[in-house]
Amino acid sequence: MVGSKTLGQAVFWLCCASAWASPQYVGGTACKTCHPNITVDFYRNPHYQSVASGKEKPEDTGCEGCHGPASDHVTAKGDKTKIGAYSAMTPKKVLDSCLRCHAESLGRASIRRSSHSQAQIACNSCHSIHKARSAKYLLASTEQRNLCYGCHGNVRAQFALPSKHRVNEGFMTCSDCHNPHGATAPGTGMGGRPRMMQTALGNEEPCMKCHTDKRGPFTFEHAAGRVDGCSACHVPHGTANAKMLKRPAVFTTCLECHNGLGDFGRQGDGVKLTPSSHNMSDPRFRNCTTCHVRIHGSNSDQRFLR
Amino acid sequence: MRTTILWLTATLALHAQPTIAPTDEKVGEARGQNIGNYNLVQSWELGYRFHSVGGNEGKYRSDVNYGNGIRLLGSRFSMKSKEGHGSLFDEMTLSTQGLGNDPYEYANLRIAKNRLYRYDMIWRSNEYFNPALAISGGQHGMDTVHRLQDHDFTLLPQSKVRFFAGFSRALQQGPALTTTNLFDGVRGDEFALFANVHRRQNEFRFGNEIRAFGMRLNWMQVFEQYREETPLSLGAPSAGANATDRTRLTSYGSTEPYQGTTPSFRLSLFRERGERWAVNGRFTYSSGNRDFTFSEAAIGVNRFGAAQNRQIAVGGNARRPVTTGNLTLSLFPTTNLTITNHTAYHLTKMEGRSTYTEINNSTLDLTTVNFRYLGIRNISNVTDAHFQIRPWLALRGGYQFSAREIKSVEQVIIEGFPGENRSQQSNRLHAGTAGLRVKPLKTMLLAVDGELGRQDRPFYPTSEKNYEGYSARLQWRPGPFSLSALARVANNSNTTTLFAHSAKSRQYGADASWNPRDWFSLDAGYAKLHAGTVTGLGYFQAAALVTGQQSIFLSNLHSSHLGAHVSLRERIDLYAGFTLSRDAGDPNRSIGTVPAAFAAVQVFPMNFDSPLARLSVKITPKIRWNVGYQYYRYREDLLAVQNYRAHTGYTSVLWTF
Repeated sequence: MVGSKTLGQAVFWLCCASAWASPQYVGGTACKTCHPNITVDFYRNPHYQSVASGKEKPEDTGCEGCHGPASDHVTAKGDKTKIGAYSAMTPKKVLDSCLRCHAESLGRASIRRSSHSQAQIACNSCHSIHKARSAKYLLASTEQRNLCYGCHGNVRAQFALPSKHRVNEGFMTCSDCHNPHGATAPGTGMGGRPRMMQTALGNEEPCMKCHTDKRGPFTFEHAAGRVDGCSACHVPHGTANAKMLKRPAVFTTCLECHNGLGDFGRQGDGVKLTPSSHNMSDPRFRNCTTCHVRIHGSNSDQRFLR
Repeated sequence: MRTTILWLTATLALHAQPTIAPTDEKVGEARGQNIGNYNLVQSWELGYRFHSVGGNEGKYRSDVNYGNGIRLLGSRFSMKSKEGHGSLFDEMTLSTQGLGNDPYEYANLRIAKNRLYRYDMIWRSNEYFNPALAISGGQHGMDTVHRLQDHDFTLLPQSKVRFFAGFSRALQQGPALTTTNLFDGVRGDEFALFANVHRRQNEFRFGNEIRAFGMRLNWMQVFEQYREETPLSLGAPSAGANATDRTRLTSYGSTEPYQGTTPSFRLSLFRERGERWAVNGRFTYSSGNRDFTFSEAAIGVNRFGAAQNRQIAVGGNARRPVTTGNLTLSLFPTTNLTITNHTAYHLTKMEGRSTYTEINNSTLDLTTVNFRYLGIRNISNVTDAHFQIRPWLALRGGYQFSAREIKSVEQVIIEGFPGENRSQQSNRLHAGTAGLRVKPLKTMLLAVDGELGRQDRPFYPTSEKNYEGYSARLQWRPGPFSLSALARVANNSNTTTLFAHSAKSRQYGADASWNPRDWFSLDAGYAKLHAGTVTGLGYFQAAALVTGQQSIFLSNLHSSHLGAHVSLRERIDLYAGFTLSRDAGDPNRSIGTVPAAFAAVQVFPMNFDSPLARLSVKITPKIRWNVGYQYYRYREDLLAVQNYRAHTGYTSVLWTF
């Protein structure tokens, strides 16, 4: 009897000591004292939903839902090392913390293997919870493109060219074509490229979401688009060339593949050579799509003439 | 936290060269009106755009396209419940751009009530104009409007069982020009035609997500409907593009009603809790189907002077079932190590049957039944590992294997002479990646990556075969200063017994921004994009096959930008900046032995410059007056008729509260 009483007391004191040692949840009221600038209009933040609910557990709501229990932080009069400060976390810690709730989205299902995660670009590299400049998605900039350009200066240079998708004009955003949280499917190309892509129906290239007339199916498909993707002929971000082609002239775009070499294309057949009637000295035959008007696919003519 | 804020502040200063309007809001942090349980914040910018173009206006419209007139240049509206318990909604946000008649119009709406529903809408319109001078001598010009809208509704967005429904619509319509080749497929003549473009796509979708046992099961069923009617017509009798040919067209009409549906199904199963493992599986199936008929009637004279009265009728359908599956497994054996393995399967089968009947001068000349099958099967497996050795040092590596099979069957059935052509090709890729992340300072990150790949049989001469790529990135953000630099090299060699394709690209760039005070920021950047390709050629010249020549393309693009923002006593905001893009080509290149037409397009010297300035003056705490000016200058050597200079500007009033 004495032994069990002693054991009970020991367990009680151990629990108390353990509770004393680990920080406790103190509730959001304590945070308001020192961080009024953050809490005063926090109702505008989508994270306020967990507070408004009133049903969440302390570790899933309010300031401590993200930053962890704050008792030590309060006791230490705001010591940054006693609270989960995202500026001091490794990218993986940030990812782990945010994904506790935000893994719910299918669009983030592949975030662990995304190029951004592998480059140590974590959530707070683009999103700002307390200083967001965009209401939607809490981005750290009013325009999504500015965040992307911050690292992808080479892409920014391509969008400054005359023939480009209208991203700088505000008609499109980078995430119309890319999934910054990681693609759910590999690219259509062999090297898993292009990467970080959104997909249209049936894991198609995102180009088909807008360019619906190129989707088909057609009786006669230009296999270039289906096998290697639209970037076989086009530069998707921007270029100086018309129609965002890889070359300034149509005929070189076509002839670089259609050189008749049997090693490529369907085995034993090759990528077809132009017929002998196509005299390249004649300018008429250098405007390939003037006759091959249905170059993306045709139902009536395997040479895409109609 | 302070460092994070400084980083974010520095990021904010890295503005892209903005379009001239709408004006960036400068209205301070806290504002809005409380109405009942809601807080309202609004801003509306109403203004007038003007422009003046010297040179090729068609090219200006293709590149820039801002016109004259009154616009709602931009607006933002948000209405949020202060306690998170609104009656019908807790959040309503609306933002628009360019409404009125800008070539790029955009509207974004979200309405949500916590735990009950969320509705998102995006609407946009793009006025697409292209004179197509460089493509077909202007014979493929387009002046269409492309409108897109997406609606997504989620019921019970925060619960364990969620329901989704959505609708998307794409509509493109407007006049266009096109061409047709008539009376002899390989030696005929081209005739310009009018086209009345009308394309419409509707997509309906619904789905559900269930969360149980730590996993999430998500499925979505989609129905896509597509319809196109683009009748072609001839304006007046034409002698065609070939002046030396006797071919003439006196009457022409064609139409191709084309419609079909693509039902698709997606099933996903995933778990992502940041513990010891995560899994993401996905299966999709879509079965595209299109039905079509084509009717063409042409009357004229062929190249031998013989009268032609030809009709073509085609009918049939095309199908493309696509089956895909992905499985990603992530393991976290220690807090510092992440290993992911991804397996993907992609099977596309395209098959179509079209019956082609040609009636020439009232005689049934030819009826064929064409059948084509093209199947592409791709299986990939990728393994990546990321190891955080020290807080300042991390390594990554990976290996990818892909195997692709392409099979085709072509069958043309001419009455009594069926023929079949079967072929197939297999292709395998082995690729390895490696990378290093170093953080020598708290504010500095250096990332170095490399990739090496080998394919045995790529599909096209310009596809990747033996390739390697290296890149290095530096990000340094000490306080209000931010520097981002990039260097990237990519090489590809696709060598065969007869021809070789070699591509080399080098990209270097740096962007810096300095934001020492709230009232001043400066950002600047430079990028050099170099690309060079050499590809074997095979073509005919005067009926003689020419081989042994090379198609060369060299691009030396220099792009720079500079922008400065100054606020004076919180009353006046001034932004001035410019973007310069110049492709210098390579005057010292080795042209080789190609004809002049090939040599002329080996480089594309081009300048595209655009300085801008924008002034915003606070009239009252809620009203600002804005004025802006942007200049565009385009110049190229290849087709100088496309050059232009354009002055664009706007003045507007911004009302915020």
